[in-house]
Amino acid sequence: MSKTSDLVNVAWTGLMARKVRTLLILLGPVIGVASMVGAVGLTESAKGALQVQLAKLGTNLIIAQAGGTFGSQNPTLPSNAVQRTEAVTSVTSAAATTNLSGVISVPVAGATNYYEAFPVPVRAADDSLPSVLQVPMIDGRWLNSADNRLHLRSVVLGNGIAKQYGYLPGETRTIRLNSANFGVVGVLGPVPLDPTLDNAAFVTQWAAKHVFGTNGKPNELYVRTKNGTTQATANDLATAISLGGPDQVSTQVPSNVLAAQAQANKTLQKVALFAGLLVLTVGGLGIANVMSISVIQRSAEIGIRRAVGHSRSKIGAQFLLESLFVGVLGGLLGALIGIGVVYLVAALEHWVVEIGYGQIPLWIGLAVLVSVIAGLYPSIKAARLEPLETLRLG
Amino acid sequence: MSSDEPADPGSSDHPTAQVPATAPSTTDLADTAFPTTQLPVTAASPSLVQPLLELESVSRVYGEEVKVYALRDVSLQIMPGEFMSIVGPSGSGKSTMLGLLGVLDLPTSGTVRIAGQDVSALDDPKRSRLRGDSIGFVFQQFHLIPHLTALGNVETALLYRNIKPSDRRERAYQALDQLGLGARADHRPVQMSGGEQQRVALARAIVTEPLMILADEPTGALDSANAAHVLEIFAGLGTPERAVVMVTHDATVAGTALRKVSMRDGQIVSDERRVA
Repeated sequence: MSKTSDLVNVAWTGLMARKVRTLLILLGPVIGVASMVGAVGLTESAKGALQVQLAKLGTNLIIAQAGGTFGSQNPTLPSNAVQRTEAVTSVTSAAATTNLSGVISVPVAGATNYYEAFPVPVRAADDSLPSVLQVPMIDGRWLNSADNRLHLRSVVLGNGIAKQYGYLPGETRTIRLNSANFGVVGVLGPVPLDPTLDNAAFVTQWAAKHVFGTNGKPNELYVRTKNGTTQATANDLATAISLGGPDQVSTQVPSNVLAAQAQANKTLQKVALFAGLLVLTVGGLGIANVMSISVIQRSAEIGIRRAVGHSRSKIGAQFLLESLFVGVLGGLLGALIGIGVVYLVAALEHWVVEIGYGQIPLWIGLAVLVSVIAGLYPSIKAARLEPLETLRLG
Repeated sequence: MSSDEPADPGSSDHPTAQVPATAPSTTDLADTAFPTTQLPVTAASPSLVQPLLELESVSRVYGEEVKVYALRDVSLQIMPGEFMSIVGPSGSGKSTMLGLLGVLDLPTSGTVRIAGQDVSALDDPKRSRLRGDSIGFVFQQFHLIPHLTALGNVETALLYRNIKPSDRRERAYQALDQLGLGARADHRPVQMSGGEQQRVALARAIVTEPLMILADEPTGALDSANAAHVLEIFAGLGTPERAVVMVTHDATVAGTALRKVSMRDGQIVSDERRVA
């Protein structure tokens, strides 16, 4: 059997022989690593739901809006803005909406006054809008070509409006848009990338032109791009849409805002990490302290080991290895506890667990490093101990 | 270690020739006077039998500014097969002697050789290895490691020697069994009587099959019945190759040995031998 495995065995046995003492010095690395894993895990998990949503929504959506000079009424994009946008090679799909500013939507008879005071935005939307947004219908269907072709007066409610109107899934409901009756055919799911869509009712482009008499010029464009080209496309899209014409176009990547929100609170994270580091350091002092006392308490053991032929370096290595084991054991245990705490809190708070498993070996390594440094002095002391005195004293 | 060995025969011849010449005290003359009437081992041919352990003009000084001579110019040879005691009151240098004989300490001047090997010339790992291989210690307070079983304590002496754990356990068990403690192998020191603990310590000392058993007041912590038993075992531990050395202040314990070296004030004052 190799000398190394003898050494490992001796160190492990020594550690296990004093369980309470070992548990006490384990606390430093355990709490240190647990708080570091917990700090990162909890701050990330607090935003985990947003991060997951962001991943699901994608970061390649651009919203292009008509931006007029200050005070100009209802600025619009060119009527062929969708075609111009789709001509850009990095664009995969695009859909337009048009604000119908004069249209008042009234869900039930007798509520006209209220909804005139607090109008629900009504927007004409392309058939492809949900697929561009990648948002599912939560009830019924979206507007389609049949609605346009057959001149059906269909309306789709945004998620928020459906709730406001008390619309029940599957319900047959007719609402009034100005003087015309429209049948509710579906409810659009929540649109986190543009919450204004939750708070709107949607009609077909046909209805916009022929029922409400708009000029068919869109106000907003929702554009999906190839991954990785989003920001560049957003920068160039204004020019692509206006083509030097008089229309002012502004573009934004809404996921940027969400991404910023989804960022964990880095300051809090740093403070908690620092606290963990502090615990680890203080724990290291504890290890150094207890190990030093242990060397004195075990001087007879050290003496007898020297007497039976264990060299100074073996004695030193024995104690250093005990410290190393404390670091490894404490680190692993701390990581497990940290992960457990993150899962527990995430479950209580309905968060989505986000643990940076890649960092955990780093924290454990840090705990091991601190423990080994802490064990250095006691180990040297043990190695230098003169065996004769302790062996002769009764 | 092997590079030093060619020098061995030469170095072992020298001291026997030099002892009378350099020795200032009369005790060394007594040392050479007795053996001829004594043990067949030393009697056979002193120049051919290499001393197991020898001190040559050894002094051990403590302190830097105020020098305290714990040992002053001591020479001593321990031959294979000897059963000897080193006696003296406290402060006589017994403790220092124990450290030097056991290679736990090094002389300030002079030479300590084990099987012809100058221990001062070795680095700590080699010296530790030499100590582990050559000397089996027994102490007054047993010094068993409390968290290990009897077997584990005996095994400690066999660690770091590239011995398979199963072989190590077997050898340790044999040593315990030899001392009648086979049934106590799994007991911890606190579960055993003083006599049993001292026998475990003895098993630990003999498990490496050392050239010399070095005992420090081996019966000091035992009652008279256990003490007698342990002394009996000691007398039986010697082999033609192995020496047994007891350091004690107890005249009756010293009396059981065949050679008695008396110390006072850091010097050997007498070296007597008797026939068993």
